[in-house]
Amino acid sequence: MFRTCDITGFKVDLRSEKLIRANAVFAVISLLLAVVAAILLVFTRYQPVHLLGAEWYYRLVTFHGLNALIFWIIFFEVAGLYFGSTVILNTRFCAPKLGWFGFALMVAGLVLSNVIILMGKADVMLTSYTPLKAHPLYYLGIILFAVGALIAVILFFGNLMIARREKTYGDSLPLVAYGLMTAAIIAVITLATGAIIYIPTFLWSLGLIQNIDPAMYKLIWWGLGHSSQQINVAAMVSIWYMVSFLSVGGTSINERVSRSAFVLYILFICLASAHHLLTDPGVSSAWKVWNTSYAMYLAVLASMIHAFAVPSSFESAQRRWGYNKGLFQWLSKAPWGNPAFSSIILAVIGFGFIGGTTGVIFGMEQTNIIVHNTIAIPGHFKGTVVIGTTLTFMGITYYLIPLIFRRKIVGFKWAKMQPWMFFIGIALLSISMIVLGQMGVPRRHWDNTFSGGPFTYNFNPAVDFFWALMMLGGVLAFLATVIWILIVVVSVFFGPKVNGPADMQLSISPPAPAAKAHKGFEAPGTLVLTIIFLLVFMALFFLNWKWLAATWNVN
Amino acid sequence: MSLLSPVEGWYEKKVSKDEKMWMIIALILCLSMFVWMIMWHVYGKQNPSSITYRTSTAEFGKLSEAYIKKYMIGADNGVPVVRPEANSEVFLLAEMWRWSPVLVLQKDQSYKFHISSRDLVHGFSIQPVNMNFQVYPTYDYVLEFKPTESGEFKIICNEFCGIGHHAMIGKIVVIEKDEDLKLYGYENFKNAATTDSTVKNEVPLTDAEMALMGEQVYTLKGCGACHKIDGSSQIAPSWKGLFGKEEQVIENGKKLSVKVDEAYISESIKDPSLKKTVGFENTPMPVFPLTDDEIKQVIAYIKTLKN
Repeated sequence: MFRTCDITGFKVDLRSEKLIRANAVFAVISLLLAVVAAILLVFTRYQPVHLLGAEWYYRLVTFHGLNALIFWIIFFEVAGLYFGSTVILNTRFCAPKLGWFGFALMVAGLVLSNVIILMGKADVMLTSYTPLKAHPLYYLGIILFAVGALIAVILFFGNLMIARREKTYGDSLPLVAYGLMTAAIIAVITLATGAIIYIPTFLWSLGLIQNIDPAMYKLIWWGLGHSSQQINVAAMVSIWYMVSFLSVGGTSINERVSRSAFVLYILFICLASAHHLLTDPGVSSAWKVWNTSYAMYLAVLASMIHAFAVPSSFESAQRRWGYNKGLFQWLSKAPWGNPAFSSIILAVIGFGFIGGTTGVIFGMEQTNIIVHNTIAIPGHFKGTVVIGTTLTFMGITYYLIPLIFRRKIVGFKWAKMQPWMFFIGIALLSISMIVLGQMGVPRRHWDNTFSGGPFTYNFNPAVDFFWALMMLGGVLAFLATVIWILIVVVSVFFGPKVNGPADMQLSISPPAPAAKAHKGFEAPGTLVLTIIFLLVFMALFFLNWKWLAATWNVN
Repeated sequence: MSLLSPVEGWYEKKVSKDEKMWMIIALILCLSMFVWMIMWHVYGKQNPSSITYRTSTAEFGKLSEAYIKKYMIGADNGVPVVRPEANSEVFLLAEMWRWSPVLVLQKDQSYKFHISSRDLVHGFSIQPVNMNFQVYPTYDYVLEFKPTESGEFKIICNEFCGIGHHAMIGKIVVIEKDEDLKLYGYENFKNAATTDSTVKNEVPLTDAEMALMGEQVYTLKGCGACHKIDGSSQIAPSWKGLFGKEEQVIENGKKLSVKVDEAYISESIKDPSLKKTVGFENTPMPVFPLTDDEIKQVIAYIKTLKN
C-alpha cells in the first residue's frame, strides 16, 4: 500500500498517489480548454482582428470562465488537498473508492457543463445572473462538480483524522497542511453557499420555481464566487511556504503568526461577496462598508502578514545558509535555476503588486464606482488568480512531476524560462486591462465600436496602445501556458523514470541550520521590500481616489 | 519546517522586531482604510446611494412611459429626448438593448435618477466620466447625480444582457445654457412638455397622421433598439423598404417565404416567436403589449419607410 519516497523519505500511499495523478491530469486538461478559449477571446476584443462573432464570443467567455476559474483551479486543489493530507502526513487515504466516486462526479460535471455551453444552450457567463437562464443541464453539471469537490474536501478531513489518531506526525500539523486545512474549511462554507444558490436556480430553470430574485441571486452567488477565490489564496499561500521549505529549507520565521493569519482568513474572508454589490441597489452603505472591508480589513491584514512571512521565510533560511551580506544577498544567491522557486517568487510579486493592490482599492465602497464591471475587474483578478494561483500551481507542478509522477522533467531549459514568460505575459495583459478599465472600457463586451447601436462612443485614443499591449501579453501568456502543458504532458507520459535522488533536476534543500540567537531584525531585506510595496499601494490608492473625486457628484 | 511539524517551542517563540513592526503598520493601514470609507460619506461627494424601491417590471415600464410621454421634447436616432427640470425626478429605463430616454441636463444641477430594468440585469456606465452602477429588474435604484462638467456623455451597458449587449448605448447631454442645444442638433426641440397627441379624434386620421403617430410608438416603445430605419440589419430586420418585401421565415422548423403585409406585421408583433425571420433566429423579439390602434399606426409608419 505504501512506498517510501527515496528522495524525501515520506511514506506515500499508492492509492492516494493515483488519485492525485488523476485530478492533476484533469486540471491540466481544463487549463488547456481555458487557454484555447482565452486566446480566441483576446483576438476578438483586439478590434483590428475582431476574430469571433458576437455569439461565439459570449459563449467562449462563459466557457473560459468556467474552465479557468472553476475546473482548472479546483481539480488542482483537490490534488493538493490529497497530497497535503496523506503524503505530507505520512498517512493513508481514508476512503479511496469514495475518492474515485467524487472524481467521477467532477469529471461528469465538467463534461456536461462544457458540452451544454458549446451547444449554445448556456450563453450566460460564469456568473449566470438571473433572469438570464441557461439549460437545466448546465446548472446540473456545476452541481455535480461541486458535490464531487465537496466529497474530496470531506475525504481530506477524514485523512487528517486518521493521521491524528495514528500519530503519523508530531504534536502539531505542519504549516502547509495547516494552511490547506484552512483552505478546506473555507471550501466547505463556499460549496454550501453554492448549493444554496445553484439548487434553486436549477429548479427554476426546470420551471419548478417561479422566480429567483436577481439581487438575492447575485448576493449569494458571490458567496460562492468570491469565497472560492479565498480557497485559492489559502492553498496558494500554503504552497508558497512549501516551496520555501523545498527550495531553501525555510519556514515561517514565526509559525504562530502565520497560523493566526490563516485563521483570520477563515473568520472574515466570506464577507467578500459584498465586493460585487458596492454599486448595487438593495443594500445600504453601512452593510457595504462593513462587509466589503471584511470587518475592518482583517482578512487583508492576514494577507499583509503573509506578505511579510513568506519572503522572510526565504530570507531567514538563506541568511542561515550564510548568504548574509547586505540587504539582498539572500535574494541574489537564491536558487533561480529552480523553476518552482522562480514561479513562486514571481507569483508573490504579481499577486501583491498587481492583484492585491487593485483588489483592495477596487473593493472599497466608493472607488468601486469608477471600475465596477469595467475590464479593470478581470484585469485585477488576472493579477490574483492567474499570476498568483495559476503560476503557483504551475511552479509546484515542477516538483510534483518527479515526486508524484516519478518522471524527469523533459525540456528542463524551457521549464526554467516558462515562469518568466508567463509572468511577463500576464503582467502585461493584466496591467493593460486595468488601465483600459480606468478609461471606462467595459468587460464582457463584444464590440468597442457599438455597431448597431443608436449612438456610438469613442474611447480615449490611448486605449489603442493598451489594447495592443494586452494582445501582446495575451499571446506571451498563451505560449507560456502551452509550453508548460507540453512539458507536463511529455514528461508525465514519455519522460525518463526517476530512480532516486540523483535524477532530481530541482534541488531539495535540507532544513536550514538553526539560527544563532540575535536581537536585530530577522529579515531586514523583506522589511524593505514590504515598505516599497506599501508605498506603491499608497500611490495607487490616492490616484484612484483622486480620479473618483473628479467624477460627477452622486448620492 | 513547513512540511514537517514545527520545532519544539514554536508556540512560545517571540515575534521578531521587524515582523512586529510590519504587522503594526499593516493594522494601522487596515483601520485607516475602514475609517476612510466612512469619512468619505461625510466629506466626499461620490457615494453610492442606499435608496432602493421595490417595483415590478410592468410598473416601472409604465412609470417610464408616462414620464417620457409627458416630458419628451423630440427624438434622437429613434430614442426619445427628455429635458428634465433641475432637482426633478428622472426615470431611466434599461432594456434589451437601449437606454431610454436621452437626457438633457443642466450643469451643476442635481437630478434624482430612478433606474431600473425591464428585463435582465444591466450595467449603467456613463462615459467618459466613467461612473458605473448596477441595474436590476424589479429594483428601482435612486441615485442623485450632479453633473460637474458639460458635454456629451454616453451610457454604455457593461453587464452582459444577451447577444445585442454591445449595441446598448444611450446618451446624456449636459448643457450650461440653452444655446448649447445647438451643439447637439436639439435647438428645434420643443421647450415645454408636449401636448398629448393621443387625444381621441372623431375625424378619421390621414395616412400621414397615422404614420406620425406610428413614429412616436416606434420611439416610445423602443422598437429602434433593434429595428433600424437606415437599412442596417444587425440584430433585427431594418424597417427601411420592409413593407411589401418577400421575407424568408422559419415556422415550426420549416422554412417558408412570406410577404410583409399588414396581416404579417400585426401577427409578428402579437406573437413574435411564431415566424422567425431567417438570419435573426438568435435574437428573438420580446412581446410588446401594443394596442390594435398602435399596431395600425406602426404599420402606417413602416409603409412610409421606402427604399
